[in-house]
Amino acid sequence: MVEGILVSVAGLRRSVVLVAAMAALAGGCATNDTKDQEVWDPLETPNRFIFSINRAVDVIAIRPLTVFYRDWMPEPGQKGVHNALENIQTPVTAINEVVQGSPKRAANSMARFLVNSTIGVAGLFDVASSLGLPKTREDAGKTIGMYAGVPPENGGPYLVLPLAGPSNFRDAAGLLADYAVDPFRILTYALNVDWIVYSGPRAAVTVVDARSRTLFALDDIEKNSVDYYAALRSAYTQQRAELIREKREKTDSRSELDRRDNLALVH
Amino acid sequence: MSHPLTYRRAFLYAAGAAATLVALPAFAADPAAQLILDISAEVVELMKTKTGIDRQNGFQRILETKFDLPYMGQMALGKYWDGTTPEQRARFLKATATAEARAYNERFGQYGGQSVTVNKVSPRANGVFEVDSQINQPNGGEPVKLRWEVQNRGSGLRVTDVKVEGVSMVMTRRSDFSAYIQRNGGNADALIRELEARAGR
Repeated sequence: MVEGILVSVAGLRRSVVLVAAMAALAGGCATNDTKDQEVWDPLETPNRFIFSINRAVDVIAIRPLTVFYRDWMPEPGQKGVHNALENIQTPVTAINEVVQGSPKRAANSMARFLVNSTIGVAGLFDVASSLGLPKTREDAGKTIGMYAGVPPENGGPYLVLPLAGPSNFRDAAGLLADYAVDPFRILTYALNVDWIVYSGPRAAVTVVDARSRTLFALDDIEKNSVDYYAALRSAYTQQRAELIREKREKTDSRSELDRRDNLALVH
Repeated sequence: MSHPLTYRRAFLYAAGAAATLVALPAFAADPAAQLILDISAEVVELMKTKTGIDRQNGFQRILETKFDLPYMGQMALGKYWDGTTPEQRARFLKATATAEARAYNERFGQYGGQSVTVNKVSPRANGVFEVDSQINQPNGGEPVKLRWEVQNRGSGLRVTDVKVEGVSMVMTRRSDFSAYIQRNGGNADALIRELEARAGR
């Protein structure tokens, strides 16, 4: 078991180096800016190829499965599944909030995790929200974007990931970082939990849950565009940029408040 | 020694004057909020009273009277606008107006019972008013963030862009259109024909 922990720590260190390298790359693209409001997409040909494979897989398997899930799983059940997935993800959110310099929000997230994991029956019920602990959702892509001194629209080259879909260097690096620091992954790896027991089902349920929440929006974009790939590329980039912009603004006003608090303490 | 003080005082006066000047457009911003409230009321009314093609025509009327469609179309076509003839522009604007009306009709067809609240109006230096609003879900779901850009380009205050959760309609269309043009011969003609074909469907 100790060996397992060591291996996972080594794996973690490798991932961290990789993430740092990718983040540096993402940060280095300041010159390739979005002057024409276009997304920087030097890998468009391979991206479009993976996009078409993703769409085929979606049409054949994921979408029908998701529609079945949406229509046959009772609403409270869908909500419970979503809550449980969010709960498993909460420690990663807390870690990101620490890195973002928001210890209070991180404490809030950990309190949410403790409450929902116990009283909320393994996260099925979001009891914490009704107790006044608001839900937050952070990922390392946002954290990198917050600190990168580039416009939030610039996440490095656009990427289409197999299965996961729209992304860019920044957000893909973020995915790796979140995967690396995920306590649940480290723990189940260290305990030699079989993938069929934990990581497999989690990934499968995450895909269906995520797809069920994007059915309406993606159908809308597909129906109302002449080039679905380009429309989605633009929408994804804008939405991520908006989240990061909010992050920057919030942190700015926060640090301003903290500064005032400190002044008050001195006087 | 008195120089720094004088400068500072002068600066303060300047800042005060600037603040007064900036404060004036903030009052003028109310019509922008009113425009959004009017649109919301008209949409709700339309959804309650009309169905099918009547409703789509209703949406088209709202778009034509409350939105600056020619400007939005020009922005959406981006750098390709300059290379088009007036006849092409007219065809392009007609096709996109139909497409948007149909899109809104289908989009709202799956909704029901929600309300719109206007939160904040921020005037910007370039004459654009940003109106922050949200769609409140009836079942207590998370509200949808809408940011409207409103400006007066000669025909009164009109909407020139809508951002849903940070995603701009005009910018998304521009990406969409320019990709289509680039992959289909490099001029707007193919796009216009495609849009007309879709509008006729």
